[in-house]
Amino acid sequence: QESYATGKRPDNPTDLVDEGDLLLTLNIYYPVIFQKASAKFEGHKDHKPYQTVLVLGSQKLTELRDCISCVSDLQIGGEFSSQPDQAPEHISKDLYKSAFFYFEGVFYNDKRYPECRDLSRTIIEWSETHDRGYGNLRSVKMEDYTFNDLALKIGFPYLFCHQGNCEHIVIITDTRLIHHDDCLDRNLYPLLIKKHWLCTRKCFVCKKYTARWVTNEDSLAPADPCLFCDVCFRMLHYDVEGNKLGEFLAYPYVDPGIFN
Amino acid sequence: MSSVPGLQEDCEELLGAFQEADTVRFERFAEMWRERRFHTIFYGRIRALERNKLTKKTLELAQQYFLPPYAFQIRVGALYLLYGLYNTQLCQPKQKIRIALKDWPEIQRFRQDLIDSQHYDAVYIFRTLRLARAFHFTAMPKLLNYRTKKKIEEKEFKEEFKDPSNRVNSLITNDVLEELMNIHDHYQKMKCVISADKSQPDKALSLIKDEFVVNLKDIALEHQEWQQNRMKLFLNAKETGEISNKKKEETLLESEGSERASALAKIKYKSYSAVVEASKSRRHRQVKLESSESGLNYGKSPNTSRKNRRPARRRGEMQMAKETITQHIGMPVITEENSDE
Repeated sequence: QESYATGKRPDNPTDLVDEGDLLLTLNIYYPVIFQKASAKFEGHKDHKPYQTVLVLGSQKLTELRDCISCVSDLQIGGEFSSQPDQAPEHISKDLYKSAFFYFEGVFYNDKRYPECRDLSRTIIEWSETHDRGYGNLRSVKMEDYTFNDLALKIGFPYLFCHQGNCEHIVIITDTRLIHHDDCLDRNLYPLLIKKHWLCTRKCFVCKKYTARWVTNEDSLAPADPCLFCDVCFRMLHYDVEGNKLGEFLAYPYVDPGIFN
Repeated sequence: MSSVPGLQEDCEELLGAFQEADTVRFERFAEMWRERRFHTIFYGRIRALERNKLTKKTLELAQQYFLPPYAFQIRVGALYLLYGLYNTQLCQPKQKIRIALKDWPEIQRFRQDLIDSQHYDAVYIFRTLRLARAFHFTAMPKLLNYRTKKKIEEKEFKEEFKDPSNRVNSLITNDVLEELMNIHDHYQKMKCVISADKSQPDKALSLIKDEFVVNLKDIALEHQEWQQNRMKLFLNAKETGEISNKKKEETLLESEGSERASALAKIKYKSYSAVVEASKSRRHRQVKLESSESGLNYGKSPNTSRKNRRPARRRGEMQMAKETITQHIGMPVITEENSDE
């Protein structure tokens, strides 16, 4: 797990972690609910997938935000049945850059780019309309704060929200001083030491390649929705000249197992 | 993290044997360790991941015995145990011992005690661990686990390992007694100064018992002795409860039952005494019983009372030693002195 980075020292001495720095262990949970009906994940209903990250106390919150890899960031919006070759390169991560952390009554919003909006404003306004017992919720900029500035509870669930509605629970499991045997290269932090593993969904036709397209209301497909790899998709739905055959709606599909 | 079966029993067995040996020398501990081939506790997990987990749990269990409210000897035993486990572990790089920040002052005090009582082998072991960077300085003592436990396990630790809590002694410590003595002397001197006869205070000024500091110390000592005996009775009752002597068993069970109940009630208080700390570390050396006639020696006398299993000796002035096992030991009665002044 973390063994590849243990004991690493940086080439550049300015990148060395300071002696009194804190090391926090965070668990970031993914908003995936395993269906009990699925044979593969029986009994895992209580067990959400998560990744474990080590951060330094002196690092900014934005560094953690950049390191969280969620498949929803890679979604490509739009229906492309008419122009399969023109699926744009813009992934959601580039389009919707807003995100926030919620720690101890304060929302830390990412405001580094001009497109970033304050997603937490809705929540703050809602809590202020009636006396809902939440006290004062504030909103500040994420890039101005490091972990050392926060007063955190260990084991208490906090929130990370991005893409407007993709929410991840963040739990801190350990806080300790940095140790001689730890990785002391600041550039390698936040350090991923444990990752969840998700099954990749394969194409329904060849069952070999990872699915890249999903179709709805497809007269040519055996199921709705139906997953196809790129080759099978084109072979079934388009003729030699590239004309669309039959009626269907097609969306690019990003597999959750892409980070395995 | 589910607990490893048998781990706690093994550790307690080793610590129990160490306690019975009534010593804090590392050589004895090392002998016991080798007898039991304790390093094999890490065998049996082949994959690196499981080895890490097992080692973490073992170190976590052992470090719990290192902290209060355990008895001094158990704590030294735990230090040796940690040293042994840390060095014989199979993980590479080595798993560290987690100590929470709140426990460090306690450990510093413990180390200072060891130095003061010249148990230099224990101090050396501790120093070696520090130099080997064996500790993780953490905020919380226990590493969190991610799964919700179906049942919260109550960890039960052996009562014999725990220090009998002694609130009287934590109140009437050496320092307090010394302070009282000083104030008392000062007071006497003041009284002499303002009296007509400079060598002794006026009769009219005698408002307190002159010997009260000495009496206070005696009473505290008595209490300690009494508690000692109760503890011994409790332990003896546990041992001899297995003898098949029926008549004895009946009476024993009675006293055992009530002893157990009161001992358990006592264990609910988690305090430990400062006076007792000083004495426990000295009990393995030759100690002299300072009799209570000279009031200035109270600093040394609490030493002698802390002998766990040796028969009660040199306690002529105390009535309790003569009582047989079947009698229930009650609180010592402090008789009122008639005021002569």
